[in-house]
Amino acid sequence: MNAITAEKSVLAFIGCVTFLIVALLFLILGIMFLKGLPSLHGGFLFEESKDFGRAGGVFYQLAGTLILMAGAVLWSLPVALGSVLFQTEYLRAEKFKTFLTQLTYILNATPTILFGLVGYLFFGVYMDTGVSWVTGSLILAVMILPTLQVSIREAVETLPEKYREAGMALGLSRATQIWRIILPQSFYGLVTGVLLGLARAAGETAAIMFTATTFSGIQFPQSFSDPVPTLQTHILVLAQEAANPESIAQAWGAGLVLLGLVFLLTLAAWSFRTRLVMESEL
Amino acid sequence: MIQFRNFTAAFGERKILHELTLNLPANSITAVIGASGSGKTTLLRVLCRMNDRIENFRVEGTVLVDGVDIYRPDMDAYALRRKVGMVFQKPCVFPKSIFDNVVFGVGRKIPKKEHANLAEQVLREVFLWEEVKDRLGEKATTLSQGQQQRLTLARTLAVGPEVLLMDEPTSSLDPKSTAAVEKLVQSLKKRHTILWVTHQHEQAQSIADRVLAIEKGQILSLNNPRGQLPLASASHPE
Repeated sequence: MNAITAEKSVLAFIGCVTFLIVALLFLILGIMFLKGLPSLHGGFLFEESKDFGRAGGVFYQLAGTLILMAGAVLWSLPVALGSVLFQTEYLRAEKFKTFLTQLTYILNATPTILFGLVGYLFFGVYMDTGVSWVTGSLILAVMILPTLQVSIREAVETLPEKYREAGMALGLSRATQIWRIILPQSFYGLVTGVLLGLARAAGETAAIMFTATTFSGIQFPQSFSDPVPTLQTHILVLAQEAANPESIAQAWGAGLVLLGLVFLLTLAAWSFRTRLVMESEL
Repeated sequence: MIQFRNFTAAFGERKILHELTLNLPANSITAVIGASGSGKTTLLRVLCRMNDRIENFRVEGTVLVDGVDIYRPDMDAYALRRKVGMVFQKPCVFPKSIFDNVVFGVGRKIPKKEHANLAEQVLREVFLWEEVKDRLGEKATTLSQGQQQRLTLARTLAVGPEVLLMDEPTSSLDPKSTAAVEKLVQSLKKRHTILWVTHQHEQAQSIADRVLAIEKGQILSLNNPRGQLPLASASHPE
């Protein structure tokens, strides 16, 4: 086989693989739209579910999902930001920086059910937060921490060194440099990180299923110890009622809403990332 | 007055400056020339401790600025950098307005109501006021390279440094802007001690009171454009 034939073969192979990935994505999207769209009536997003989820909308499930996501980001963002600034602005030892980066990737690769198990034992039992939205958001916070950390670190590290040097040369303290140069210049990266973190939180099911959510009986949480209904739990419970076509249709509808939420967040993150790249090229 | 006493700067085991002993008088311009990698930029950066963030960077000996050892453990590096300002090879303006750039390093050290006067004063000093006085609110990135370089110099002057370190400040400028910056530096000599790194021997001869040539981190010669300086001003390597 000569070099040109070999190159064409490799090109054909990677072309097929790329096509397969794109086709898979469109297949999932197509099925979701075909199955989910018929359920999306005018009030689907704004009505509460009725008849054990067989009718009505997903308003409280959507609200519960948003509460968990927002709570997770609120817990996680200060920790992720603090650790990134420590790593990039204060730490000088490259080996220790690499070690911390590896730890972040290991945390990212941990099976999510383990987060649920350990998180529930620590937060729910040891910290006595029980099965509640607080427990769920804390567990999700730990889960999205690597996503946030990596994204924010990327934004801070790609900030041209000339900005830091210019700030240093003006006699600005480290804290002032962070406040007046690093954070404003990394703003789009921070937002991208938050959006990706939110998208990851929205997609997680296993860890919050038995630690933070309920299928029925709760609308908005009235206290820190209340669970919340979420889209994920709603879909799972309805899907288990495979004999009932109304339940299945509602599950597809809720699935499409969840998918739309994740897509919106990802698209927004992509848009902000594009602005981040433009800023770093200034 | 800047004094180096047996001063060595190194990254790990790799020495960049070797046991320099050198006196630089106040209110003078010293041009630093030498080949790439000879240690010119490091010589400037050690004076405002710009390499503090770099792992493995270490120094031996002493550097005195106005009689104060700038590497003593209790030295306030931030205060030092306000006293010893640095202008870089390529102008780095922040993506903010021209006015905000000028007062960027001032912060709360001067009352905000005085910022406008200060900005005008330093912009006049760098001969930029007439060019930007009607567009202070515009983004600094809209200025030409030469204007941006003068803006970064104004920003540095606004902090009130006594020493100005200039690392090839005209290397990315056209001849007209270069001439403007050279003229400007001559006017700043009265109140500042200036170190100017350049690759251009002609420029060094024309603007400087003395020309320091370094090679492989050691002093090769220290001349003024009209003759040799007294030997007491520098120690030469064996």
